[in-house]
Order: sequence, then structure tokens, then C-alpha cells
Amino acid sequence: MLRVLALASVVLLGIAPQASQAITVYTSWERHALVGSDVRLSCSFFSWRFVSEDVSFTWRYRPDGSRDSVSIAHYAGGEAYTDNKGAFKDRVEFVGNPKRRDGSILIKNLDFSDNGTFTCDAKNPPDIVGRPSSVRLLVFETLPIQAGVITGAIIGVVLGLLVLIVVIYYLMRFLVARRVFSLSVSKHGKKKKEGSQQRQLWTPPPLTCYPLP
Amino acid sequence: MLVLIALSILHIAAIILLLVATIDNAWWVTFNPQTSTDVWGRWVLTNNKWNLTDLPSSYPADYLQAVQATTVLACIFSIIALFVFIAELFTLPKGRRFTISGVFQVLACLFIMIAASIYTDRFHINEKSIGNYGHSFILAWIAFGLTFISSIVYFVLRKK
Repeated sequence: MLRVLALASVVLLGIAPQASQAITVYTSWERHALVGSDVRLSCSFFSWRFVSEDVSFTWRYRPDGSRDSVSIAHYAGGEAYTDNKGAFKDRVEFVGNPKRRDGSILIKNLDFSDNGTFTCDAKNPPDIVGRPSSVRLLVFETLPIQAGVITGAIIGVVLGLLVLIVVIYYLMRFLVARRVFSLSVSKHGKKKKEGSQQRQLWTPPPLTCYPLP
Repeated sequence: MLVLIALSILHIAAIILLLVATIDNAWWVTFNPQTSTDVWGRWVLTNNKWNLTDLPSSYPADYLQAVQATTVLACIFSIIALFVFIAELFTLPKGRRFTISGVFQVLACLFIMIAASIYTDRFHINEKSIGNYGHSFILAWIAFGLTFISSIVYFVLRKK
């Protein structure tokens, strides 16, 4: 009975993780960029297996308002392939390090027509079951102030100054108290030392011999 | 004893007014269409249901965030001042003034004054005919007065 149980548990432990293994792909949610600038879209994945030699990354682009997506970058078999026909010709570069699970691409010289959704699909054979992840790119002429940045900055700076002032106040008090303490201790010590030195320095008065009349 | 109770009530009233001014949505109200605005969002009454919408993008975004930050900071500093006041009640030697509570309270007063002034000066400059200021705005100015008075009292009062 025990043997059957042990065998069953070993078999289950062997099968179950493999059945629940899935590759998880991570990208940013949304990226904001200025016209004419470059933007780096990051893509990473988590897999229970080590990075295999056949690891592959595929980047697709779907313009805003369109339903079709087109491939713009592909990495497979140790080689990176980028768009050489479409809108991203000579503008996209594979800058990731697949050995470190990084499949990022760099898109140069952005234009308003690059607004859209970029999807990254990573596969780490034999771990191929997973959902691709998308990042939305928004291209602006001037970057708008994001909601809450100034608010958070003002609140953070003021509270930080408050904490700093309190810490400095208590530090000064502690240092002054310690200095006063060490001064009083050294005064006591000096008095004692001076007393003993005086005893050492005191030389008996010189003996002069007067000839006897 | 009576002075202490009155002082605490004044301080707590100032805190409550500050919190209401920051959280409640009535800095600016209009009647046609019926909206109720504050520094965080705009409530619009459509079909007898209130819907929360974003503030119109015509608002100057940096001034809006400054008003948000300073109202929140005024609340925080006033609450800290209350706790510092209670602490000083027990730790301050006789004859000394409640300076630290006064400092925090005057900072709260300063922040709510900044917030209310920016809002008065920079927002709704051309909309005076369509709507009027709501109760949160009025409470913000009253809270400014209350915090000012209580900070003066803290600076003058001596511990018995």
C-alpha cells in the first residue's frame, strides 16, 4: 500500500508541474514618447525551464483602429530578424539579451503613425504555452503632465523636509549632549591628572651648604 | 482647563473643515447642467444620476495639482499638530509656550491659504456667470481662519 502511494506521488509530482507550466510574458502597459525620439520596448518572460537554445521572441504591431497586426521583429535560433519591407524598415533594432530572458526592441525616430499596440510573444521550447503581452505606444508632440506627478512631488518634498528637520534636530541634540558629556568627563580626568603631575613636578628645594662660621 | 477644552475643540473643528474641503466635491457648482466640481473630479447630474467625470482639460493642470497637493498637506499638518499638542500637554515644562504645535498649525494655515488663493485666482475666471462657489470652497477659507486663530493661540498661551 505504501509503495503504491509513494509511486503514485512521484508520478504525480513528475506530471503535475509539467501540466501547469506555462510561460508568462511581461511587457510595460503603456509607453509615452516624443515625436522623433527613440523608445525601447521591453519584453521579458518567466519560465520554469532554463533558457533553451531555441528561445524565440516575436514582436507584432497593430496600428490604432486597425484589426490586423504585422510582424516587425523576430528572434529565433540565435539570430535577430527585423522589418525590412514595412513601415518600420531600418527603424527597429533587437536590443535584448535572450540568454537573460530579455527580448526588448528599440524603435528609432518615432512618428505619429507609430501610435498603436505592440505585442511580444516569447517561446522557450518546450515551454510554449503562454499568452503574448501587449504594450500600447502613445506618441506626443509635447509630453503632457501626467496626472498626479506634481501633486506627489510637492507632498513628497514637504514631508521629506519635515522628516529631515526632525532627524537633524534630534541628531544635533544627541551630539551636543554627547560633547557636553565627554567634555565634563575629560575635565574630571584633567583635574586628576594635573594633581598627580604636580606631585611629580614638585622637586624638593635645593640643598645649599653654608660653610660653618 | 476650560481654555484647553476650547482650544481642542477649535483645533478639531479646523481639522474637520479641512478634511471636508479636501474630500467633498463642492468647490464649484453650476446649475445648468447640474455639476459639482472639486479639485479631484467633476460630478455631473444626467438623468437623475450623478456620474463622476474627469475635470475638463481646460483647467491649468499644474495649478490644479498644486491645489491638490497643498490641500492634502494642510490636512496632514493639522492632524500632526493635534497629536503634537496632546504630546506637549504632557511633556512641556510649566511656563513654556506650545511652539511646535503652533508651528505645525501655522504651516497648515499657510498651505490651505495657498490652495484657496490659487483656486480663487486661476480657476473659473471666465465662468462667473454660469455657476458659483460651493460649500467646500467656503469651508476651505473658513478653515484658513480657524487654523490661523488657533496657531496664534498656541504661540501665545503658556502652560500652567
